[in-house]
Amino acid sequence: MTEVDVKQKVLAANAAAAAGLRETFARSGTLVVNLISSPGSGKTTLLEKTVAALKGSLRLGGLEGDIATERDAERLRKMGIPARQILTGGSCHLDARQVERAIAEEEGRLSNLDVLFIENVGNLICPTGYDLGEDFKIVLLSVTEGEDKPFKYPAIFSKAAVTVVTKIDLLPYVPFDLPAVREQVATLAPDGRLVEVSATSGAGMDAWLSILTDALAKKRAEVPAAGVAP
Amino acid sequence: MHEMGVAAEVRRIARASVADRGPGRITQVKLAVGDLAAIEPELLSYAWEALVQGTPEEGSTLDIDWRPARQHCRVCGDLPGRAPGTWLRLCPRCGGILRVTGGDDLDVLQVVFEEDDPGEQAAGGEAR
Repeated sequence: MTEVDVKQKVLAANAAAAAGLRETFARSGTLVVNLISSPGSGKTTLLEKTVAALKGSLRLGGLEGDIATERDAERLRKMGIPARQILTGGSCHLDARQVERAIAEEEGRLSNLDVLFIENVGNLICPTGYDLGEDFKIVLLSVTEGEDKPFKYPAIFSKAAVTVVTKIDLLPYVPFDLPAVREQVATLAPDGRLVEVSATSGAGMDAWLSILTDALAKKRAEVPAAGVAP
Repeated sequence: MHEMGVAAEVRRIARASVADRGPGRITQVKLAVGDLAAIEPELLSYAWEALVQGTPEEGSTLDIDWRPARQHCRVCGDLPGRAPGTWLRLCPRCGGILRVTGGDDLDVLQVVFEEDDPGEQAAGGEAR
């Protein structure tokens, strides 16, 4: 019997792929955001409205993770941006190698963008542990889900740079303690941002959009040569 | 929830680590799993059992070293221990905000490998 020392991270292969992606995105000056939430919290709808607001001035693209159907990628393509569906076939999260492959298979259509949105599989747990080479993670929480979610799923709410409370137009109709959510998020992510939006009414959308455009400007300032169209 | 995928990755790493050791089989894999790794040790062991069934690793086990996250309060300092599910909140002593670090481990630490011919091969293995 031999004890063989290994000391290797289980997710090392994912981490290596994510590092490669991050380097590629830095070269092209692409801001990459990884959107995580439970199913039905409004990720795709938020993206549709975001695309409508920004596509005139920025080159945008989307990667859509789902277990089945092409629906989400189709919705983004209908908005006039390149988008690709990654079907995980039952897996509960996206892996950096899937992102790598999807971008390669798009043959340039998802390269050299200003902003790439990666919409993860609807799940508050598993996607949290997988780095996709993004600049930051965003977690969405719709008011219909209840205000106890940040403390119930603390890992994602503490790792996300931005918490987006969605569907605030429904606040008059559902019991949802918004101050309690603000307090939980402040506890979990003292340096994080929180925005409250309704993609339907447009409320709060300006604050959300400026988080993206500010982050893009900051990334471009750090890599001044990047982002110049080839 | 993704324990099966993690189990498959653990096996890939374990097999690679003993690939140059000649005939034999993996009998145990030692892992570090952190509090915040979103991995349930019990489910990971079940996934491992299912994964190795009918393979050369059948009958092998996972030895999981649980790594808690560290809770730190600016006023009260490090907080030892915690009830499950209570991390990342407010300090139970002063109500201040806790800083949480570590606990994100998910590492293969060691592989126990049994050489096929215990007579000669074991001595060879130990001499390495």
